[in-house]
Amino acid sequence: MSWDLVGMSAICALGDTVPAIHAALCSGRSGLAPLSAFDSSRYRAGAAYEVPDRARPGVDEPLRATRWLVRVVREALAEAGLPEPEPRTPVLVGTTHREMRTAELWWRREAPLSPADLHFTPALRSALGLHNVHTVTSACAASLYGLGMATDLIASGEADTVVVAGTDSITESSFGGFDRIQPRPPDTIRAFDRSRRGMIMGEGAAAVVLRRAGADPGRVRGRVRGVGMNCDAAHATAPDPAGIVRAIEEAHERASLAPGDIDLVVVHGSGTSQSDLAEAVALEQVFKAADPGPLVTAVKGGTGHVSGGAGLLNLVVALESIRSRTLPPISGLADPIEEAGHLRLVSGRPATGPFGTAQVHAVGMGGINAVAIVEGAAR
Amino acid sequence: MSAPATVRTAITGVGWAVPGPDFDPETELAVRGMRHKDRSSRFALRAARRALGDAGLLDAPELDGAAVVVSCNFGNLGPVCDFVATIDGEGSAGTSPMRVPHLSSAAAATWVALDHGMRGPNLTLSSGASGGLDAVAWARNLIAAGRATAALVIGMEPDTPPVARLHREAGGTGWIDGAVGLVVEPVRHAADRGARIRAEIAGFGRADDERSAVEAAGGAAVRRRLGGEPNARYGRCSGALGVVQCAMAVAELEAVAGPEPRAVLAVAGAGTEEGDGSSVAALVLTPPQGRPA
Repeated sequence: MSWDLVGMSAICALGDTVPAIHAALCSGRSGLAPLSAFDSSRYRAGAAYEVPDRARPGVDEPLRATRWLVRVVREALAEAGLPEPEPRTPVLVGTTHREMRTAELWWRREAPLSPADLHFTPALRSALGLHNVHTVTSACAASLYGLGMATDLIASGEADTVVVAGTDSITESSFGGFDRIQPRPPDTIRAFDRSRRGMIMGEGAAAVVLRRAGADPGRVRGRVRGVGMNCDAAHATAPDPAGIVRAIEEAHERASLAPGDIDLVVVHGSGTSQSDLAEAVALEQVFKAADPGPLVTAVKGGTGHVSGGAGLLNLVVALESIRSRTLPPISGLADPIEEAGHLRLVSGRPATGPFGTAQVHAVGMGGINAVAIVEGAAR
Repeated sequence: MSAPATVRTAITGVGWAVPGPDFDPETELAVRGMRHKDRSSRFALRAARRALGDAGLLDAPELDGAAVVVSCNFGNLGPVCDFVATIDGEGSAGTSPMRVPHLSSAAAATWVALDHGMRGPNLTLSSGASGGLDAVAWARNLIAAGRATAALVIGMEPDTPPVARLHREAGGTGWIDGAVGLVVEPVRHAADRGARIRAEIAGFGRADDERSAVEAAGGAAVRRRLGGEPNARYGRCSGALGVVQCAMAVAELEAVAGPEPRAVLAVAGAGTEEGDGSSVAALVLTPPQGRPA
């Protein structure tokens, strides 16, 4: 079974369309910039991957994550040829922080907050008439969890069309928390590199429209073949390679594919010591018999870690890479860790295709994993 | 939204962790392992243990493939506001590394998974007042899709100073402080292991108005409707509402004996007793319908 992906959209520090973000990644651009709204005297780190859309420099605004969500959902539906969607179309929104940034401003009495601001139903209802909204908060695996849940809704006959999205704006609490726990502030995100120093937060949103296979063949941008989702249940904060391996194997099984069928992998690649290690070990294990094995890349050096939407951002970049036959390199990678020694890591310049099938990862805090298998439009 | 019942599922365990005669938070939330947990995670862990115990599934091998599905709207609001207050005062250096995981809404669900080795999907929903009933429906979906052997559903909301302020500003005068857990599993699995089926999940619907949601759930003919009863007892239940409704429905189905076929319809969401901008979810629970053929 497969599902047709008929519309997609994204926004992050690097751009506000999928082709623009992909092109920026291919040219090695980074969205990292000095903090624009937080009081930088409160942190050791002074930079983040922010969406540069605040009206006044230095002054924060409430409900930015909601604004981006509405935008990407509207754009993805327009591309899908569904500008006025059926109101009961399910919308599954993956988010780590919801509108907690607005809650922070509210707690300081700088913005209002109502309980309804903390989920995304009112905003999507008022902008697009969509009321069947589910706010999925499974950490940074949330948007790929939403994708897996969407495939289930279509497979069971519950829906023919589902919108899957992710959105997050950077919160001061998490920016400060990661500033506290990382040994020293990273200068950038260097996935799989020996010199990597950790994760830097980013922000943005992504959305895709998923339809039952064959619903609108002319608009197919790609296909979802299967999504695996699970939990390590092994350690409070450190990811477990075994859990990631199980998620990959489940995705392959649901997609009826073997490891040798995967052309490229967009890893979670958050640049933290433990997460990169766990992913590298998992990939080595899954692909040990594949020859030559897939190309492996990561986007966070360019986009930052956009939290709940991270998995879906990886997915749209993967599909654009298949379409354009150009796979962006891992930013900042010069000296790969030993555990990734046998992986075909893309570094320096983009790799060129053709590519058919991609594997996309999201590894969330608490050991929440999701892996999606997607393929390009042409079969 | 409505789901065809491809796999019959049932509630086989209920666990209450709401302050009252059977739950003293002073002792229950201070047991071993709780020290570095936030309030919502503590409640969730206690409700989880009680629900799994009630279902006879504590330490059971099938938990390895089980899912955790949590519904909670305000769980991380307290930790987030605490962090910004600390950052304002002392900078990030003043924050506690042990508390960083609680900035995520998903923290409680992952603690529960870790406590019981539950390696299936780990899902947290923050969808407003419909979220608790949604969670039961997603648990059923995960089982039907072959993603989970069983699911532990937890509805919870902690009472912390930011939660209290938000409720007060929105006109609230009371709100729940606690968690309730439900074990959802396939009827066949429950029958095979000799578990007591407390209620079957007969239908679910989600819509923008109550009537359509009830119709989608197949509950138009069900006379017993549970709506705001949990709010009357505990105050606003928010993300916990639907789960509390199901736990109350189970108790009611077990208490009322009679020859007539009975069912309980639970309705949660905007336009019901908690208008928080969410849409309306409706769920029909029935007494056990017998062993599957």
